[in-house]
Amino acid sequence: MYVCLCLGVTSDTVTRAVAAGASTSKQVADVCGAGSQCGRCRRTVRAIISSVAQRDTPP
Amino acid sequence: MPTMIPETHSLVLTTDYRVPDPTRVWPLLQRRRDGLAALGAHHVFVYTSTTDPERVLVTIALETREPVAQLLRSRAFIEWFDAVGVEHLPAVFAGELIERFDFVGDPAAAPPGVVVVGIMVVDDAAAFRVDVSETRDLFLKAGIRRVRIFEAFDDPHEVMFVHELSDEDSAARWLRRPDVAAEWFSDAGVGAYPPLFVGRFAHMMRIGDADRVGS
Repeated sequence: MYVCLCLGVTSDTVTRAVAAGASTSKQVADVCGAGSQCGRCRRTVRAIISSVAQRDTPP
Repeated sequence: MPTMIPETHSLVLTTDYRVPDPTRVWPLLQRRRDGLAALGAHHVFVYTSTTDPERVLVTIALETREPVAQLLRSRAFIEWFDAVGVEHLPAVFAGELIERFDFVGDPAAAPPGVVVVGIMVVDDAAAFRVDVSETRDLFLKAGIRRVRIFEAFDDPHEVMFVHELSDEDSAARWLRRPDVAAEWFSDAGVGAYPPLFVGRFAHMMRIGDADRVGS
């Protein structure tokens, strides 16, 4: 899915940025640009950060 | 060197979001008919949720030469979200239809039912299509009337599905089936993916070639 409409950044790209260590929406914006323009996709970016964190947490 | 003219391609854009007043969505879309035509839209479908009174799902089918990212960057989209009162932009699914099954004799004659729409991740979209085709009986026995599967342009492992059932009770039974839920519904609401959308067809706009002249 396209998360950042301003720059055309996809959920896959954001997920990779998070998997590579970005853990805040600002860090994601620094890595791939998502959320760096109008900022209205940051809620979705944070949802991705949260889902990756849950995925990587041992049960 | 001849000038390269990009070929047109077909795609659907689907957004699913909550708005304070869903009844404003359709009139605002109608007022933007020219803008939609300029983007290359030929059909617009609006569904309203049966489980969340503030939730709508809008699918726009287009023919365009523009790359998807360029299309989404259009001011028309942002202005549209502004107009309906969406502050936090939802993720947008962009893809193409890869599979369709109709289990009713004349799809156009059957009254609109209840749709279950979601995004899921598959290992291999081609294998998934074969698997779905081979389990047609599962859908038929469960009362599914139509199935549509769309593959995302930006991620070959991402598909959007539309299951249409005759009524809300059938949809509720379908959603409760553990075998179906495990295969189809487990990615819903994870990360950028919206929770499952359950709703009814509300409106359709057909935009003809004459409307799209110059687009």
